Amino acid sequence: MGRPVLFILTAVVFAVLAAVPLFLEAYGLGLMIGITGYVILASAWALFSGPTRYVSLATVAFFGIGAYTVAVLGDKLPYPLILVVALAIGLAVALVVGLATLRLAGVYFVVFTFGLAELIRQLITWFEVNVTGTLGRYIFLPLEARHIYWQLLALAALTLLISLWLGKSRFGLALRVIGDDEVAAAHAGINVTGTKLALFALSASIMTLVGAIQAPRWVYIEPSIVFNPTISFLTLIMALLGGPNRLLGPLCGAVPLFLLFEWLSANFPNHYSIILGLLFIAIVFLVPKGVLQLLETSLFRRKAGTPGALRKDRGIEGGHP
Amino acid sequence: MTPLLEIEGVEKNFGGLVAVNKVSLAIRQSETVGLLGPNGSGKTTLLNMISGAVAPSAGLIRLRGEKISSLSPHRISHKGVARTFQLVRILPSLSVRENVVTALAFGTNPLWGDAATRLAMEKLELVGLETRALERPGNLTYIDQKRLELARALASQPALLLLDEWLAGLNPTELDASIGLIQTLKSEGICILLVEHIMAAVRALCERSIVMNVGAVIADGPTEVVLKEDAVIKAYLGEDYA
Repeated sequence: MGRPVLFILTAVVFAVLAAVPLFLEAYGLGLMIGITGYVILASAWALFSGPTRYVSLATVAFFGIGAYTVAVLGDKLPYPLILVVALAIGLAVALVVGLATLRLAGVYFVVFTFGLAELIRQLITWFEVNVTGTLGRYIFLPLEARHIYWQLLALAALTLLISLWLGKSRFGLALRVIGDDEVAAAHAGINVTGTKLALFALSASIMTLVGAIQAPRWVYIEPSIVFNPTISFLTLIMALLGGPNRLLGPLCGAVPLFLLFEWLSANFPNHYSIILGLLFIAIVFLVPKGVLQLLETSLFRRKAGTPGALRKDRGIEGGHP
Repeated sequence: MTPLLEIEGVEKNFGGLVAVNKVSLAIRQSETVGLLGPNGSGKTTLLNMISGAVAPSAGLIRLRGEKISSLSPHRISHKGVARTFQLVRILPSLSVRENVVTALAFGTNPLWGDAATRLAMEKLELVGLETRALERPGNLTYIDQKRLELARALASQPALLLLDEWLAGLNPTELDASIGLIQTLKSEGICILLVEHIMAAVRALCERSIVMNVGAVIADGPTEVVLKEDAVIKAYLGEDYA
């Protein structure tokens, strides 16, 4: 398929997606918002964790920062300005956290990012209880579901464009080299810390925006809702299912898994967590490199007999030594 | 004229272990110097300090008169120091060509796109890997992986090239070819510091050798002279043979 055809096709897909609110009723649109939100989260997660193989569980830390900023500033500033403030806070936290943690390798990084999300939740809870004397805030913004959806759709397009650019740029090559071997990367002239930090911050900023944009949907929020660690785990497993090293991998993981989770939580509300856990285990065991690569490999085998010429990137393997 | 590389009173301690003990030496432009010594004598640690992989505990390292001893590896690489590793470090998820492009794209004068591809192919040709450009380096033999690593080091256009046992593990034919390759680099004026155990190669390539033992320099001079010194023979073979 030529580049112009692909471009037109993408434009058509986004146009159709943008027209969706005109046809769907409230429940359907709610689903679309949820799906788009997770597509962005998973894509943003893969942006950093795909090439570097640093497994982050901090997704909800940034998502929550975005949502909570909107809750606090909702009636104090004009909406676009709130988004800018949320983005600035998310970026600042990412830079501080990144500087402190990106020297950690492998499992230490995973544990730290998980701890970070919990720490932020506890800090905000403590602050609200002891200083402001509230726990939970209401968000009354004159935004309808379709407005939220359109913002998310635009952010999704932006995130995919960034991923696309990254695949072709020097910056993207630097990340792949870092993912392969940090020592070799540094000796080849790559500023390893700076590159990782920049991408971690970019990825975190996008996650922050998702939280900020989605916040008005809840009307009432409290730390345990917007800092729910399940959001981090879902994001991770979606990106892994689709394949974090493919442009559309996270999308291909996010859409079916989100629909499945919706169906499970509606039909098996009491056993939802158990099924979720089993599913995580199954995905890690059966498709460690993502569904897209699995499909590609098996298709190619059928055609040519060997998978040798395929791009052999490795899946997330729990980080570096 | 300022030497290319100056090392002054450099030390490295790992806890209580003194790996490198007050080493001072200077290497002039376009010299090829052998760095010799028994295992554990501190050769690789010294190389690591020059390339920035580890920071010295004390002392100064200068390149063209400019202090580099507290810089991070990528900054030192930009100043003109490239290296290979004792245990080869290829980038397995990139193609052979991309391995080399990496050093071009992040070098002192970053190159990208066609220019980078063209120059990467030149470097691959130099080490005899041009026909393998699009393969994964995991498919290459150990020797070819070493060649690839050298091509990557050369792509960053170094003034000083550090080779850490680059000739180890080669068969006699490969050894001759590889010595020939390093001679080509010498003739291009690249200054080379090589850690090596193969004496035939050291004799063929290095007009000067530095010998280390237990973290200190015990001999420094013309290779033929140095290899005959008592202290050197003792360090390599033990008291009984001296």
